[in-house]
Amino acid sequence: MRALRYLHFVLWCALVAIFVWIGAPIVASAIRENRLGPLETNRSIDAYLGALTGIEHGSEKLPDVFRRLGKDGSLLIFVRDENAQSEFLGMMIGYVSWPREVQIIKVTSPTVGKELADVKPSSVAGVVFCSADPPAWLQHRVSLGSGVVLVPLTEAASP
Amino acid sequence: MIVIGLIAALFTIFIAGFGITMLVFARGNQVNLIECACLSWLLGCGAVSLLLWMCGMVCSGLLLQSIVGVACLLLAIIGWRAKRSANSKIDLPRPVNILEWILGSLILIEIAVLVFVSFKHTLGWDGLLNWEIKARYAFLNDGVIPGSYYSSAGRGFSHPEYPLGVPFTELWLYLWMGEPNQSWMKIIFPFFFAAGAPLLALFVIRLSGRRSIGLLIAALLLFVPSISASPGGVVVGYVDIPLGVYYLAALGYLMLWSKTGDHRYIRMFAACSALLPWIKSEGIILWLVLAFLGFGLSLVRRRVVPFLISIVPGCALILCWRVYLKMVHLWPHSDFAHPSLRVLRDNSDRFSGIFGILFAELREPTHWSIFWLLAVIALIYLIASRKLERIALASAILAPVLLYSLTYVFSMWPSYAAHMTSSVPRLLLHVMPAGWLAIGLALSQTKREAQML
Repeated sequence: MRALRYLHFVLWCALVAIFVWIGAPIVASAIRENRLGPLETNRSIDAYLGALTGIEHGSEKLPDVFRRLGKDGSLLIFVRDENAQSEFLGMMIGYVSWPREVQIIKVTSPTVGKELADVKPSSVAGVVFCSADPPAWLQHRVSLGSGVVLVPLTEAASP
Repeated sequence: MIVIGLIAALFTIFIAGFGITMLVFARGNQVNLIECACLSWLLGCGAVSLLLWMCGMVCSGLLLQSIVGVACLLLAIIGWRAKRSANSKIDLPRPVNILEWILGSLILIEIAVLVFVSFKHTLGWDGLLNWEIKARYAFLNDGVIPGSYYSSAGRGFSHPEYPLGVPFTELWLYLWMGEPNQSWMKIIFPFFFAAGAPLLALFVIRLSGRRSIGLLIAALLLFVPSISASPGGVVVGYVDIPLGVYYLAALGYLMLWSKTGDHRYIRMFAACSALLPWIKSEGIILWLVLAFLGFGLSLVRRRVVPFLISIVPGCALILCWRVYLKMVHLWPHSDFAHPSLRVLRDNSDRFSGIFGILFAELREPTHWSIFWLLAVIALIYLIASRKLERIALASAILAPVLLYSLTYVFSMWPSYAAHMTSSVPRLLLHVMPAGWLAIGLALSQTKREAQML
């Protein structure tokens, strides 16, 4: 019985020691990671938009741009299928464009083409391309940042 | 002003939770201050988020904030009066030897470190796009999520069907701070850890009678890398750790009730388990597991009626949320097909792949160190003990892991493997604190009288 107790004690001491031995360096490195930055209001949105597109204070700039598209009409967002960065950027655009209705469309080719044929300009205020290229014939492109292009549809349609 | 607002928001959450805790625990002679503080946070978050959701259906803006604030105050007053009329005393348990002082101090340092680290990181993908987004949209609309959000196909990516427990706790902070401050808001996540670790210690102590082992287990919790170092952890604002803490609390009080028959424990189980489906959709699975296990325990202990009453709040919350989603015309969006025998048959070839991915994840040292090896050995101890509560605890760890894994048979992602790889590490976090409880009980094999703190 005493031997069993010793075995129990030794087993758990060893297991706990190995657990801490493996876990502690990983946790320590996570604790050291990053610096304490300013506690800004839109810190997470700005950090992601900055990293993905190079836009500074994207949480303020992008909604400003979308506001200029007028009150009505939705925003079409084209993202590359199976491209996590493009899809994430599309979602971020969808996030900051609230309360405007958005539609996120995944495209398989690098250049958007036939997907635009179904677009009804009357109900769409603008089209955003996230890591996807607009077709060559589409005019009035506004580069919002690296890999993000906005085409205000009403302007694009006008001569 | 932002910090004053933040303090006011946290204070109101705590007093609301304190009131509910006192209403449950006041009839005892003594109330453990640490337990009371942990439960005040957990139940306060539940109460404030539920109040915001329910009152938000009839009012908004400053009126909504005032009504919820007054309700928090009323809960605190009612709870305090209940405590006074029951003549119960609040007791602060102190360490009795050097080892307990060291372990207790280590837990406090870990909590402080997590608070600090949380401020260093931004919100993660899900933390931002599934959870915080709801708080922000509600804040921009006077404290109420607009109906158009639920029915918007374009924002289906943010899972509008997910429950509002954590987002509306964030919203409460936003309302008090006067702005949707994504930096200060993150303080709530280490608070869930701060509530979970002492509760874990408390359950181990009460179920085993070994104070030092309880404190050791709580101190080891942070050494699971997933808590701080990988997607889903405390520092990136995901709700998986909070859900794990609620699950631990519900499970712990269920076991204590089964062991002692104390009615206060079954009431606390009712409160904590009811909040499981309010934190995350997977909480329904955890709630069902607890309902099933609890029913078994109550049958053996011949206490079926109080147990059945205790699951009513959870049932009601699940039902109300479903009805609400119908009312707001939720855009149908799901990562899973409707479970049917045909889908099960069609996807039966996935089983080997699913369990292969599961075992690979359980062995992943950068996420878990050797936590799951410890948990498996602990489960063997628990099952070998042939004690009812310990076997129930083992089942409460195994059943959710199995059920979660089986859901991927119905995954609608183009690659179920990609779906599982991206989400299963976070799902395992839900049972991780319960796994530590199992380890604590396995470690403390010597029989001792459970000592009340």
